Amino acid sequence: MSRSQTSTQLAILAAFLLAIFVVVPWIIAASGRFDLYYTLTSVALLSIASAGVWLTFYIGRINIGQGAYALMGGYVSAILVVQAGLSFWLTLPLAGMFCAAISVLIGLPILRLRGVYFAMVTLVLTEVARLTALALPITNGAKGMVSIPLPGPIGFGGFNLVPNFATLKTPNLAFYYLSMVLMCLCFGAMYRLVHSRIGKLCQSLQQNEELASSIGVNITLLRVIAYAISSFLGGLSGAIFVGIAQSIYPSSFTVTDSVNFMLNCFLGGLGYVFGPIIGTFLLYFGWDLLFQTGPYQLLIFSSLLIIFMLVLPNGLLSLNPFAGKKA
Amino acid sequence: MSAGETILEVKGISRRFGGLVAVNDVSFNVAEKQILSVIGPNGAGKSTLFKLIASFLTPSAGEVLFQGARISGLSPHIVARKGVVRTFQETTVFKAMTVRENIVIAHHLRSHAGLTGFYFGSQIARSDEAEFGRSADEIIDFLGLAEQRDKLASSLPHGHLRALGIGIGLATNPKLLLLDEPFAGMNHDETSRAVAMVGRVRERGVTVVLVEHDMPAVMKISDRVVVLNFGVKIAEGTPAEIQRNDKVIEAYLGSEDASIGL
Amino acid sequence: MTQVLANGLYLGAQYALIALGLTLIFSLMNVLNFAHGQMYVLGGFITYTVYAQLGLPFVIALICSGVTLAIIGALIEKYLFRPVIKRSVRDESTMLLAAAIAFFFDAVILLAFGEKQRGVPKILNGVFVSQPLIMPYDRMLVGVLAIALIAAFMLFMQYSKPGRAMRALAQDRMAAQLMGVNVDRYSMIGFALGAMLAGLVGGLLVAITGVNSGIGGPISIKAFMMVMIGGAGVVGGAIAGGFILGMLESVGLTVLHAYGDITYLAIFAGLMVFLAIRPHGLMGKPWG
Repeated sequence: MSRSQTSTQLAILAAFLLAIFVVVPWIIAASGRFDLYYTLTSVALLSIASAGVWLTFYIGRINIGQGAYALMGGYVSAILVVQAGLSFWLTLPLAGMFCAAISVLIGLPILRLRGVYFAMVTLVLTEVARLTALALPITNGAKGMVSIPLPGPIGFGGFNLVPNFATLKTPNLAFYYLSMVLMCLCFGAMYRLVHSRIGKLCQSLQQNEELASSIGVNITLLRVIAYAISSFLGGLSGAIFVGIAQSIYPSSFTVTDSVNFMLNCFLGGLGYVFGPIIGTFLLYFGWDLLFQTGPYQLLIFSSLLIIFMLVLPNGLLSLNPFAGKKA
Repeated sequence: MSAGETILEVKGISRRFGGLVAVNDVSFNVAEKQILSVIGPNGAGKSTLFKLIASFLTPSAGEVLFQGARISGLSPHIVARKGVVRTFQETTVFKAMTVRENIVIAHHLRSHAGLTGFYFGSQIARSDEAEFGRSADEIIDFLGLAEQRDKLASSLPHGHLRALGIGIGLATNPKLLLLDEPFAGMNHDETSRAVAMVGRVRERGVTVVLVEHDMPAVMKISDRVVVLNFGVKIAEGTPAEIQRNDKVIEAYLGSEDASIGL
Repeated sequence: MTQVLANGLYLGAQYALIALGLTLIFSLMNVLNFAHGQMYVLGGFITYTVYAQLGLPFVIALICSGVTLAIIGALIEKYLFRPVIKRSVRDESTMLLAAAIAFFFDAVILLAFGEKQRGVPKILNGVFVSQPLIMPYDRMLVGVLAIALIAAFMLFMQYSKPGRAMRALAQDRMAAQLMGVNVDRYSMIGFALGAMLAGLVGGLLVAITGVNSGIGGPISIKAFMMVMIGGAGVVGGAIAGGFILGMLESVGLTVLHAYGDITYLAIFAGLMVFLAIRPHGLMGKPWG
């Protein structure tokens, strides 16, 4: 990579960070559109979940089941906060790891399936997660869990690194910063992954499984690890949503959400690490804008989607270097 | 160059697919730094035998021992780790990577750092990467691919693809290299160069087992030859012995390959 | 126990019909029809409209459902799936299109028929009682009709010209084309047929359990589970999957009732274990 290329990239990165951490809050404060905080926070969190789906794609699988892990993560966090009295912040990694653990159990039998078969199973997974949430006593069934307290402080002694959200005048702003920071961390980590040797290993897996195996790549391990990380991200995303919404229901994440995560990746370009951010942003704002059409929202949305697939069947950025091989 | 001790033992290997017996009770040994070829008419079970040795298939009976330890039935990537590496019949490379990237990534088996090390760029990982780069360049020069170094594998002509395939095999630092039809589809000149290349591979200390149809090439390069027909070993010996063997001549006259070369 | 079995059989027959439609489409075009459940719902609503609101005989209502869905299916294949399949290089494209179509159906159904649960008057009164078995006549009729339709479908696929062409296409696309089978036409017919089956089951079951706009998605998921159990792309597998799921549901609802509604969780867990051993279902082709 040439020096000018690196410095251009760094400049873009700096501009982006400046935009989301400084410029946007300034614009919102100036325009008074504080509702936008929630919108942008949602975009950030949804893009984290979509990043997970992107990662599954990176190992050659079509994952339409991220909604299940978002739901699982959300419930784990909710249950731990409400019933075990744990700090919200502690439940975040716990929710993520719970999802990762479950995904290993599920992944071991299904990761060897390919294409449509794998997709089918993940789709069913989302629905089963919902049904389970409905059925188990601990999740409170259809009534869901409500009145979940806002995140508490992180601090030592009398000094708080992170304030108690309940004491904040605008917790939305705090959630915004939280989500943006996590989004940047998440995608930073993914960027590193893709550009490290591990990224090359995944690419080798995508391009030629047998050959990868014969040069010593443990494809099962790699797949399971990727899927576990993906599910971790899904669970994390769900857990934070619960913190914001302060409630969770079996229908909080459905098959539609799973499909949307997939869509975010596809729209942003499956070959680009930052694709999910773009895709989520476009889709979420698109959907939000259509809200004004009332009952026709879904109709118009799905029609536009169909038209999009007809016109650009290979996604927005179809200059994917590893397109052409059906995974 | 004298061959050393036995490095590979194929013992009574059989493989059934449903009712069809593709390989039937085949046994032979390969000595270190030897070049052994497996030949036979089409459909004789050579490819299946290869897959069995590299553990891409599990034998229905019998076993394969490498350096005295059983490798049959182990996961392919573990067998590769032990030093038995296979190249593929349909010149298989990573088409969307450059020549250099292909060979660098094939060094995977030589990594000392683990996945986390590579992710965080640990000291060991970085020295690994430096070594891989150096070794890849050395292999590229060895195979005469220096000009194609940064070209996408998908854009390479046939001969270079084959060389790349061998390069990938070499990158793993194998003790035993299984070459699946390395001379297929080559003209006379290309074959001579490929044969010389296989000879140089052996000089690096690698034992080579190859499956081939091209008789003149096989007879020229091999120390020993094993002949299969209908999944059964019908002969084994030096090239000269094989050429005089009645059963072998009969097997070949009965199929399309009429010439067994001289 | 016999009651559970009888319920399982009648339900299984319906499910088998749904799975058959899905499998047919999948085997012909390697497309997973996400909208299959919505087609079922649409069929149900059409039957409801014709039978309950217009007062026409039930059979006519069924035929309307079938024909309408067949036409819709043909149109979807020709104008939506065909162009995308021709131009896409990856599986995701057709899947996303299928998902978009499912959403579209959901939206249309909601707008056209509203949210309320709809039912129709009983098509047949009375109950068959033979202790310990209690089976309402309408369920028996629907069960018999479903089995008759399955049989008709099998005969059609086995002996008719379009049926043979579609089977050839499903087995080996290239070879079928070389033999002169018009791929485009039979893909369309196949999709139409698959859609029609979904619509017919919708019409049949609206007479028993009613229909509402929200069950499209869950029905699609159930259809996928059947296909996973029985194996994708194989007719026998679809029927087996359908009956097995029907049985499992019937048994599960009775046996596991005490533990809450974890029937589907149990089925899914079982399915995971099953797929670990047999990834392609009972009779599936290796990776399509």
